[in-house]
Amino acid sequence: MSNGIPLTEALARYRSDAELGPLPEPVDVEALLNTYHPDHLRDSVVKLTVGANAGDSCQRELAALLQAEAFIDEADLAGTPVTDVDVLVIGGGGAGCAAALMAAEKGARVLLATKLRLGDSNTVMAEGGIQAAIEPDDSVQRHIQDTLRGGHHAGDPALVSAMAEDGPEVLRWLIQQGMQFEQTTGGDLHTRRAGGMSTPRLVHCRDYTGLEMMRVLREAVIQHRSIEVWEQSPVVELLSNETGQKCVGAVLTSLLDDRLRIVRTRSVILATGGLGRLHLNGFPTSNHLGATGDGLVLAYRIGASLCELDSFQYHPTGLLHPSHLAGKLVTEGVRAAGALLVNALGERFIDELQPRDVVCAAILRECSEGRGIRVDEQRVGVWLDTPRLERAQPGLLEKQFPNLMTRTRIAGVDPRAQPLLIHPTLHYQNGGVVIDVNGATTVPGLYAVGEVSGGIHGRNRLMGNALLDIISFGRRAGAAATSNRDRGPKKVTLEHVNRLRRELTIAGMPMTQRSPQVLPDYAAGGAWDR
Amino acid sequence: MTIKNPSASTADASQSVALTINGVAVNAHAGVTVVEAAWEGGVPRVTGVGCMEGVCGSCRIMLKRGKQVSVGLACQTFVENGAEVIFLPPASAPRHHYELNDFKDGWDIHERFQDIFPEAARCRHCHGCDVSCPKGIKVEEGVAQAAAGRFRDAGETFFECVMCELCDGACPELIAPAHVGLFSRRVTAHFHLRPPNLIHRLEELRQDKDKPGMTREEKDE
Repeated sequence: MSNGIPLTEALARYRSDAELGPLPEPVDVEALLNTYHPDHLRDSVVKLTVGANAGDSCQRELAALLQAEAFIDEADLAGTPVTDVDVLVIGGGGAGCAAALMAAEKGARVLLATKLRLGDSNTVMAEGGIQAAIEPDDSVQRHIQDTLRGGHHAGDPALVSAMAEDGPEVLRWLIQQGMQFEQTTGGDLHTRRAGGMSTPRLVHCRDYTGLEMMRVLREAVIQHRSIEVWEQSPVVELLSNETGQKCVGAVLTSLLDDRLRIVRTRSVILATGGLGRLHLNGFPTSNHLGATGDGLVLAYRIGASLCELDSFQYHPTGLLHPSHLAGKLVTEGVRAAGALLVNALGERFIDELQPRDVVCAAILRECSEGRGIRVDEQRVGVWLDTPRLERAQPGLLEKQFPNLMTRTRIAGVDPRAQPLLIHPTLHYQNGGVVIDVNGATTVPGLYAVGEVSGGIHGRNRLMGNALLDIISFGRRAGAAATSNRDRGPKKVTLEHVNRLRRELTIAGMPMTQRSPQVLPDYAAGGAWDR
Repeated sequence: MTIKNPSASTADASQSVALTINGVAVNAHAGVTVVEAAWEGGVPRVTGVGCMEGVCGSCRIMLKRGKQVSVGLACQTFVENGAEVIFLPPASAPRHHYELNDFKDGWDIHERFQDIFPEAARCRHCHGCDVSCPKGIKVEEGVAQAAAGRFRDAGETFFECVMCELCDGACPELIAPAHVGLFSRRVTAHFHLRPPNLIHRLEELRQDKDKPGMTREEKDE
């Protein structure tokens, strides 16, 4: 990409009080998405050859990991220490903590294992808020309709209904755990309207909603008597029963001592999050370091069905600059508060509160048609017009978006004086492991909650539905996982690994790559010895 | 503390900066953070990294520049010539234990607090916590507010806390300020946050459940 207007020229041209023309006529959304959204890039998608989704479309880099060799086989299990628990939760973000807390409330002995530190997650970075239909003119039904429409009607209505109905109760539960929210002077929870919402429904804690949620849940987990936490402990493989049909535990390693450990359990809850750190299609990502899609790989190998594997969310407003924050988000809340998107010519080009995929495609169109702002050969973006917002509502940025202000201040950028240069960034995995309303996958004994699961957000997630999703289904799976009162596994095997290995051999697939990924290559430096 | 990066926007990437990370000599491009430098330099076992935008509190480091020693977050610290950086191990398990469900109501919360965090009243005003906080929180003031039973104010003081727990490590009285802050925030929500719009909707949904004959659409009309 060498087209676009150079940064210095665009900056000289920019004025926060310039007269903005009217929005261009709305374009054909389908055509816009088909031409510019990264999901539709040529060669981005392949067909899966083996496993429960053989024949389905899947993003290319993900397909390679799903159809790869495992790290361990039976010989590795001999002599490995075994821990028995009622419920094993894999993942230490919001979904994992909610599931662990709910299972513990129901009386289970819970082990929560997390790859990095408890709380290292995408949850902690969620700035915007959490959706719940609590305003007088809003309803659960409208929440369901908005969510299905935003997801291009690819979502499962049963899952969407379950989540939307949980909304108000989820807020009550979070407040009981000790989470604070922004209030109006009358004491109501303050709501905002963001992209794809027909009415204000976004409840928030300034622009630190995810941090507030995560630190409260993290503390609740640490303090809970029935929950044990293992940090720096990635799962390298699940365990199955003799027939390879049921999930009965997992094999974990340690980033600290590289030793394997077996956990035997009645139920496993996958809460491993997304895969932004695979940098699909070469995009930067907003995700935390551990988001490498491990849960998808583990679930697929044990036979679980996945869905929408070719649909990812690229958040419209990732920072392009400064470089150490490349790909990191400017919350949609800033647009919800009134900030506009402006191209290098000083024109608006899209209704900023359209769903994220539409706004993303429109930005990529501006960049590719020469109306972007060019930093160098690789980097082209558009303006997020924060100075105009500051002119219209003085003090708003400092008061409502302290997180944004703190991050940019360190880099010597003041969004009140200078517009932010942004470009879409890989943000969210829309699909994932197929679940029912209890978070149960198609494999007995295995649950999946949060970003690793699929079917809720269709092919595009609305802002604020991720934080609701993780708590709603986290609690549901935590409760359901404790209902399994059998005597626990007699034998733990890797039968499912052998099964996939046979399928790969028969299909003549190369078995040179191993998965799960655990850490991105650039960060692996000796930490995770393959 | 965080090092300001005055050259972030204009950093000359060709300029090289020499420092050590966990004892390993690293040459890094100017303008990169310590996390990026550790990766580029192939420093082994740097797994205490999470969000890379300063909100998860994982990448705790100790930083020595000349004779000056400070602590901070690696993703918010830019490389400097001659700096010696050590990634700190994760904080040890908390020493103060409580479950909110054990509290009956808000009247005895001050008493409970003194049982759970008896050290909070013994602050010797050494400012170790204030100096160690990468977010510039007035930690000492927050602890004093909590010790005086002003939990709402204390919680607000700790608003930007990212739970890096560097203040816990800096406290000679073992007060665990980060957990004092979180306790203050949690009890404030748990006992005092009662929003009418949420409560009204919960009540409507409860009544809906009691009237199974009526669909939600009809109710909306």
